[in-house]
Amino acid sequence: METLSRVHARSLVAWARDKPKAVVLSADLTSSCEADAFRDAFPDRFFSMGVAEQNMLSFAAGLAREGFLPLVHTFAVFIYRRAFDQVAMSVAYANLPVKMFGFLPGITTPGGATHQAVEDVALMRTLPNMTVLETGDATEVESVLDVAASVPGPVYVRMLRGELPRLFPAAEPLRLDQPRVLSRGKDLTILSSGLCTEEALPAVALLKSRGVAVEHLHLSTLKPCNHPAILQALAQPKYGVLTLENHLVTGGLGSIAAEKIAENGLGVKLCRLGLQDTFAHGASKGYLMREYGLDALALVRAAEQAVKTDLNIRAEDLAQMRVETVPSEAKPEDL
Amino acid sequence: MAIYDRFLSLTSPQAPERDRFILSKGHAALALYSTLYLKGVLSAEQLNSFLEPGTLLGVHPERQIPGIDFTTGSLGHGLSMGAGAALAARLQESQRRVVALLSDGECNEGSVWEAMMFAAQHRLANLTAIVDANGQQAFGRTRDVLNTEPLGDRWKLFGWDVQEVDGHDLDQLTNALQREGERPKAIVARTVFGKGVSYMEGQIAWNYLPMTEVQYRQALQEVG
Repeated sequence: METLSRVHARSLVAWARDKPKAVVLSADLTSSCEADAFRDAFPDRFFSMGVAEQNMLSFAAGLAREGFLPLVHTFAVFIYRRAFDQVAMSVAYANLPVKMFGFLPGITTPGGATHQAVEDVALMRTLPNMTVLETGDATEVESVLDVAASVPGPVYVRMLRGELPRLFPAAEPLRLDQPRVLSRGKDLTILSSGLCTEEALPAVALLKSRGVAVEHLHLSTLKPCNHPAILQALAQPKYGVLTLENHLVTGGLGSIAAEKIAENGLGVKLCRLGLQDTFAHGASKGYLMREYGLDALALVRAAEQAVKTDLNIRAEDLAQMRVETVPSEAKPEDL
Repeated sequence: MAIYDRFLSLTSPQAPERDRFILSKGHAALALYSTLYLKGVLSAEQLNSFLEPGTLLGVHPERQIPGIDFTTGSLGHGLSMGAGAALAARLQESQRRVVALLSDGECNEGSVWEAMMFAAQHRLANLTAIVDANGQQAFGRTRDVLNTEPLGDRWKLFGWDVQEVDGHDLDQLTNALQREGERPKAIVARTVFGKGVSYMEGQIAWNYLPMTEVQYRQALQEVG
């Protein structure tokens, strides 16, 4: 599988070239949010806002109100924790096209609890007018700009940076409210989002090799979340639904699944994997994913519990699985 | 009203080149509605619908209301939005100006100082902040609640072109508004809370109290 570096840095420059209304704002984390290439290419459309996120968000609203397309760049925590009032009132209530790129979602950073956005989806999803997207690989990071710009109102994006795998073919871009169906099966349904999908893929492959028919959906749009394929996937499994997210299990993907299951009377058992009512701490991503049960092995163990069978899958088996780029089982237009 | 009459160029609420006014101290919406009525933007019927079922005219101003460009009410947003509007005008090579009206109590909010730094750094000369400095806020005197004085000196230190005026002297206010410069402009308008109504002047309780019919008639008589 291909690995790409600094995907957003390059794609932002290419994308913005013919969009003179697009301006980039950064709260002194320009290189950390891969906005440095844009700054160098279009210095007149780049604004260094300083470590002053409240001003940045209302300022972005002012620009948007006058016809510009502000792309806000900083770590996710500083958007929704530091400036939530500005996000809610200056941006969301006014329904202005401010596009917020929140970097370091969940436990992607060793920076500890102060830098780990573990409740951002929960908060942003509650805001009326807000669209919430989460990128899971290089292809989604490349294509999320088009999707964010196509939405007339505010958009919050959980953004990935650095070295990224290309899990999904470049020809299958992120599309608004279109889940990717990565596997089909009626025993167990797995919903994953963001970087957790990279973890889920080898787990699903091994589960299938042990005879468990898995329906696996990757969700890159967390709000709106109305595609019929999601409801169908939640309605059909014999043994239950598992969700795997780089977020607290309250308010994010697991809660979305719970709401849909309850509201539609599906009566299916749900197991939510993610941070369980806890802040995380500073350590490597691999360690934290293991420690807090967001990795492939945690998913396998939850699947074994759901099907009430020991499938004889060991950590070494997972380590040996090679993740390849996975085309969707169904074309987006068919979903 | 003086700002609208004597400074803002407002041919129509839709004209792209109109000046922008942001009532950052959104709790003064009633004064803004009355001004928009006197300028012919709101009808008498709209004005009289204040807080009635189905109205857009609530305690704080909404941008769906004709003549209102920015929703305010949560303090400390208006100057930042004004900086955005002012920078947008510069990028669009427009001559339009942006005026944000803040209160001295509102300057408790840290975001105001963030916006001050940004506007000064970018020399947003098309941005004017008027601080209604009546020395009072919701439940006390500003100097007791959280002191923002010396206001003028503080804005100056943050890089703004500052003038202090008697906020009830319309000529002083107009002159200050019209002064041109190369930096963002702050006008510290010294005012008396409840000016002109004897039983209200400087009385903090009137931040929230409704008037009785008798008090209403007395107030009308006193302000002439």
